[in-house]
Amino acid sequence: MLSIEGIHASYGGLKALVDVSVKVDEGQFVAIVGPNGAGKSTLFKSISGTVNAHQGQILWGGENILTMKAAHRALLGIAHVPEGRQVFKELSVYENLEVGAQSPKARAEASRNLEQIYTLFPILKERSTQLAGTLSGGEQQMLAIGRGLMSAPKLLMLDEPSMGLAPKITDLIFERIQEIHRDTKIAILLVEQRVAEALSPCNYGYVLRSGQVAMEGSPDKLTHGDDMREAYLGM
Amino acid sequence: MIVLENFFQSLIAGLLIGSLYGLMCVGLGLIFGLMRVINFAQGEFLMLGMYGAFYVFSWFGLSGILGPVLAALVSSLFSFGLGWIIHQFLLSNSTGRAVAGTEGDGHYQQLILTLGVSLVLANGALLVFGNLPLSIRTPYASQAWELGPLADDGMLMFFFNQARVMALLAAVVITGATYLFISRSRIGKTLRAAADNPDAATYMGIDVTRAHRISFSLGVAITAIAGGLVASYYPFQPYIGLEFVVIMYAGVVLGGLGSIMGPFWGGLIIGIVQQLSALVLPMQLQNGTIFVLFLLVILFRPQGLFGKNVERV
Amino acid sequence: MQLLRNNIYAQLGIFAFVYLTSTFFIDDNYFRFVLSTVPIWAIMGISWNIFSGYTGLVSFGHAAFFGIGAYTVVILSMTFGISPMIGIPLGCVGGLIGGILIGYPTFRLRGVYFALAMLAYPLTLLYIFEWMGYQEPTIPMRTGDEAFWHMQFENPFYNIVVSVVLMSLAIWVSHKIHSSRFGLSLTAIKQNEAAAESAGLDSAKWKMRAIMVSGALAGLAGGWYAALVLVVTPNSVFGMLTSSQAMIVTLFGGVSTVWGPVVGSLVLIPTSEIIQATVGEKLHGIHGVLLGVAIILMMLFAPDGILTKLKSLVFRSNKHADAGTPEVTVPVRDDTASKRSLSSEIMLDVRGLSVSFGGLQAVADVSFQVHKGEVLGIIGPNGAGKTTLFNLLNGFIPASAGEIIFADTNLVGLKPNQVCRLGVGRTFQVARPFSRLSVLENVIVGAFAKDADDETARKHALEALGRVGMLGHAEVLAGGLNSLELRLMELARVLAGRPDLLLMDETLAGLGADEVEIMLSTLNHLADQGQSIVIIEHTMQAMVRLVDRFIVLNHGSVLAAGEPAAVMKDPLVIEAYLGKKWVNNAEH
Repeated sequence: MLSIEGIHASYGGLKALVDVSVKVDEGQFVAIVGPNGAGKSTLFKSISGTVNAHQGQILWGGENILTMKAAHRALLGIAHVPEGRQVFKELSVYENLEVGAQSPKARAEASRNLEQIYTLFPILKERSTQLAGTLSGGEQQMLAIGRGLMSAPKLLMLDEPSMGLAPKITDLIFERIQEIHRDTKIAILLVEQRVAEALSPCNYGYVLRSGQVAMEGSPDKLTHGDDMREAYLGM
Repeated sequence: MIVLENFFQSLIAGLLIGSLYGLMCVGLGLIFGLMRVINFAQGEFLMLGMYGAFYVFSWFGLSGILGPVLAALVSSLFSFGLGWIIHQFLLSNSTGRAVAGTEGDGHYQQLILTLGVSLVLANGALLVFGNLPLSIRTPYASQAWELGPLADDGMLMFFFNQARVMALLAAVVITGATYLFISRSRIGKTLRAAADNPDAATYMGIDVTRAHRISFSLGVAITAIAGGLVASYYPFQPYIGLEFVVIMYAGVVLGGLGSIMGPFWGGLIIGIVQQLSALVLPMQLQNGTIFVLFLLVILFRPQGLFGKNVERV
Repeated sequence: MQLLRNNIYAQLGIFAFVYLTSTFFIDDNYFRFVLSTVPIWAIMGISWNIFSGYTGLVSFGHAAFFGIGAYTVVILSMTFGISPMIGIPLGCVGGLIGGILIGYPTFRLRGVYFALAMLAYPLTLLYIFEWMGYQEPTIPMRTGDEAFWHMQFENPFYNIVVSVVLMSLAIWVSHKIHSSRFGLSLTAIKQNEAAAESAGLDSAKWKMRAIMVSGALAGLAGGWYAALVLVVTPNSVFGMLTSSQAMIVTLFGGVSTVWGPVVGSLVLIPTSEIIQATVGEKLHGIHGVLLGVAIILMMLFAPDGILTKLKSLVFRSNKHADAGTPEVTVPVRDDTASKRSLSSEIMLDVRGLSVSFGGLQAVADVSFQVHKGEVLGIIGPNGAGKTTLFNLLNGFIPASAGEIIFADTNLVGLKPNQVCRLGVGRTFQVARPFSRLSVLENVIVGAFAKDADDETARKHALEALGRVGMLGHAEVLAGGLNSLELRLMELARVLAGRPDLLLMDETLAGLGADEVEIMLSTLNHLADQGQSIVIIEHTMQAMVRLVDRFIVLNHGSVLAAGEPAAVMKDPLVIEAYLGKKWVNNAEH
């Protein structure tokens, strides 16, 4: 479904990604982990189009979207839940979710999806008229995920959902992400720093280091061995 | 008694003109609130709204008490189109996503670019229309509804100029409609989202540049309607824009940037202050009071009465 | 040619000579008049440039100073019979005072608000003067000898001479600023105010100085203008056109250059006068339209000015003509050398430092010490509070609790430039160099805080460049550097201030393997020489080869501290990075 082949990307004038290839099949849960500065966010942004990748291809359903504008890509069925949540602070929770449904398909399914999101994250229903900027970090993360789901996507991409959140909330969020994966046919691409949380529910994982894919494989394969610790801690 | 009557009459005058100032400010507030762009040409769009309304009024022979209002509305369509074109070809490159994150967020370029636009529009109007002052004259402009006599000695009497009351009603209705549009409609929410967080909006599939274009054209059109309505108050000529620019910015700053209704109240207050100051100050200083008020607000309470965004040290 | 390039007096001499002689060929009185006003607008352009060009704060209100100068001359002459020879200098002073009065309240504003406020000042003055009855004050015509002493010269040639003299004065002032610490400090502030403050520059002071000089020059221009035209109206001096014209000639000719405004004035003023005189009579407003179109085109295609654009095109070709770019000198260091012996003297003592933002504890009760000559690494997962900690140390954020003891002073509550002056230097992640200036000019800014003397500053800047191995790059334009060189230049800038403690924020991010090697060697070399360093980094492998000790932050508090080997095996640390379940899984 999504196939990234040999892309290179720069961010802030520096080489952030070198010859990176990642694949996500329909209904799959793929995790991308790696230490800070490894290029995870840049990879995410290359897929969404806010960073221009060059060389290689990004295939979505067979079509190369490497040069497609960011706003267009969003309407293809790829939902982005960006780093740091990025909710619309001056809009209410309900309005945030509403705005998430931009494509005709999403708008048609809007009320049904909204109900599902409220069931998944009841706190959002409770706070539906509150301004998004007044929510706690965890609630904003749920809102951001809900907003992404409102676009009726085939692929849900999450960029470091645990960042800045307390461990308990992080656990809750990861639980819900797993639930989404189980109950719907949506594929998930999770970019995370926290290795264990990311690897346990996934079908396949990639480890990024210094802009390149250092390792890939099933969660089992990745969790055993010293390679992971070396990638993160340097020794 | 006379003093009281003068006071209230000035208050009424202030409300009448203030509602139009308020409408102008709503237009500018949209541009500033939704795009974070400071548009120096806003006064010129006001002026073009005046000329547009004048010609629509004359060519179509619009009569009746709502004639000027209709003329203003029709002419605003042209202003919307003009705003669209200007944004597409000129402003897109120095505002919004193109410059977000660059030095000063492109403010410098954008300020001066709109100054250039203002010069072209004002002098272009001079070229095309000449400098003979024009105004929209209807019989209603010299008719007034009377209220009174009130008070025990039957002396208190208030006059409500008919044309101006119509203009006030139009201003209030349009402001209300704008508020509802921006806060309740789907497009309005999309515009607000694009202003709130352009990156996240792009992630949603919103074309931020296009959203800005709509906001800009809408803001320009609304100010143009206000211009068309003011056209029946005073004679106007191509350079009149500059007189109103500071009023508009004063109103928006006073009411508070980042809010839809705030600028309306700001403009209203300015209108009232201006008319009331005529009671105690000579004519030349009336506009001076607006500037002073403006400076005071900027220096001591930049967020205004209802606003949210402030750039301060 | 080289002599001409650098000698302002030679440039001025030649320019004045050419200008004055060419006027001999002009017979028409109107054009003679135009030639005497061109320098006035050049002065206005220079005035605007000195303020807005260098600081980046757009002023739409320079007409205020111009008008003050003009009215000073007119009123003194009209009411008191005082000659403009005295009136003009007084007008200059008036402009300077105006600068202070306007600058003081307005500098607290930023961006949009600043521009709006500046717009309001001249318009307010316009209304005030109109109200006071000065709609058309006129300088009385004088005859005979008196005329001369009141600067009403019979021969228009003298007017041109006075204009050229005053303009030369303005150019000289501009030149002095441009090539001195005044100009460089302003440029630094415009480029990155945070970094400039960290380098010890008091931005408020420099902006005030800039507006004072700017106001004085504009007052000078206004004063002479009044003496020349004899009749002044509020609109002609306080109006928008005055401010716009000052801006436009500068933008056209080139912002932040000495001769830019002059070139702009030379080209635009006569052009617009000619248009006005020929077509303008029939087509009212064509002048303004063309001016507006010119501004729009300029902003779209050459926002830094025509002159600057031309210069960059010329320079680009020159660069290729030069011999290849110099190499960075890498200090040789034996990696297996024995560990640095740590002094027991404490350089920095942080006690219970805390700060919260909107209910979130970003830094919670952090305490640690840095020994003299030590390299301390601060690590931790993303969002742990590392950069926030630096911002606290540096003075960008006020701590809500705790103390930072450095050089027997508590740094909490001090402004960044004060912290810098005490001896703390800080590098930033995003390096924003002055691309059109040389590496040395970029670096010397770091020395200004400590060295009052320009020569000493230069010496220290060169020394700093030597310490990072960039001495060969001193005269290279910063715009052509690669990322490693930029980082080293940034480091040199901080070192030019000879800090006792160096705070480095993610210096290695994004560098390739070879570049990391060079940077590590350089840093190790500095440390070996006794420099105390605190460094935030993510690249673990590099860090362990540099630091003496680690501090691990997580969720704003100190998780672990100690020597690299111990810290990296600490289960708490592993958990912080890899997750709780990891520790359970991986233990085998």
